[in-house]
Amino acid sequence: MKKILKSERGFLILNVIFLTLITSFAAMILLNAAPRIRNSQSSLRLIALHLANEQFAQLESKAAAGELTAGSYDFLGNNADLENVVKFTVKTTVTGTGNLRGIKVKVSWSDKDFIEVERTVLFVPKENS
Amino acid sequence: MFRKKIRNGGFVLVEFAIALPLLILVMYGLAIVSMKIFLLGKEQLADYVLEAEAQYVMERITHLTRASKEIVAYNKHNKIKIVYHAVDDWKEGDGYFFETLKDAENKKYYLFGDRDVLETQFIFPYPKEGRNYSNLYATRRDDTGAPSNPITGENFFGETKLNSLQFSELNKNVLRIELEMESLMTGHKIKIATAVFMPSCESFEIKNE
Repeated sequence: MKKILKSERGFLILNVIFLTLITSFAAMILLNAAPRIRNSQSSLRLIALHLANEQFAQLESKAAAGELTAGSYDFLGNNADLENVVKFTVKTTVTGTGNLRGIKVKVSWSDKDFIEVERTVLFVPKENS
Repeated sequence: MFRKKIRNGGFVLVEFAIALPLLILVMYGLAIVSMKIFLLGKEQLADYVLEAEAQYVMERITHLTRASKEIVAYNKHNKIKIVYHAVDDWKEGDGYFFETLKDAENKKYYLFGDRDVLETQFIFPYPKEGRNYSNLYATRRDDTGAPSNPITGENFFGETKLNSLQFSELNKNVLRIELEMESLMTGHKIKIATAVFMPSCESFEIKNE
């Protein structure tokens, strides 16, 4: 045994080097794969943005009819739309007086994942007869 | 003498009996893992294309409906008809446009008749392969006619399908649109709902037939 170890030292060292290389390649490939796990955040953001647009459309319609007052509003669209892949919540605040209203919509689908969008719409006062 | 011969070949025997099969097994495992990673990347690209297509279709519909005067939606056929009208537009003085639209007393020459239909647009899913309808979603093809992906130039990433396009009325002049699209590459689906306010819409009709 000793004789083998002594005479084949070069092969043994070569073996250790090659096995280390192979293991490191495997580790590299696996580490590269880790961040590629399916991440649906971008599609959730897309859905959230369109939900915000739904809210904007409803509030714009209210503003055109002269019914939009400053304050906070719930989701005014179809409530079934909030339950897509995950559950979305929509919070809205309306500010401003006069002919313009500022609308701020926050759509969130978890504690830290949300989008916040703003739009200014024209307010048409009701005609007094 | 015989014993000595075996001792000399001992290392080589061990090397080929244990290390080589082990090496082959490790390489086999690596090949499987790298293949899976490649497919995962492919799937991710298909998802990306699906999202982009859904956004494109939705943006196009909201853009077209926003300024419309007449809307007729057919929910059973996933179809919508959008009509635009001309506004009351005229020029003063000696006209040279349309003699029939001349208002001689007031010296007005109309460019268009009041509320003439300017344009009618239909939006509906691509019905059949090989037919020359305007297509909602882009089927991306290269010079040879094979489906191709705009990002990498490889085939079969960008093929998507429109599953359903539903309309309903939320409020006065607020049209709700619900769109579901599917990737033909992975079978993943995406469902988007939105609404659009149409300030100047006069005729609003939704048919569930």
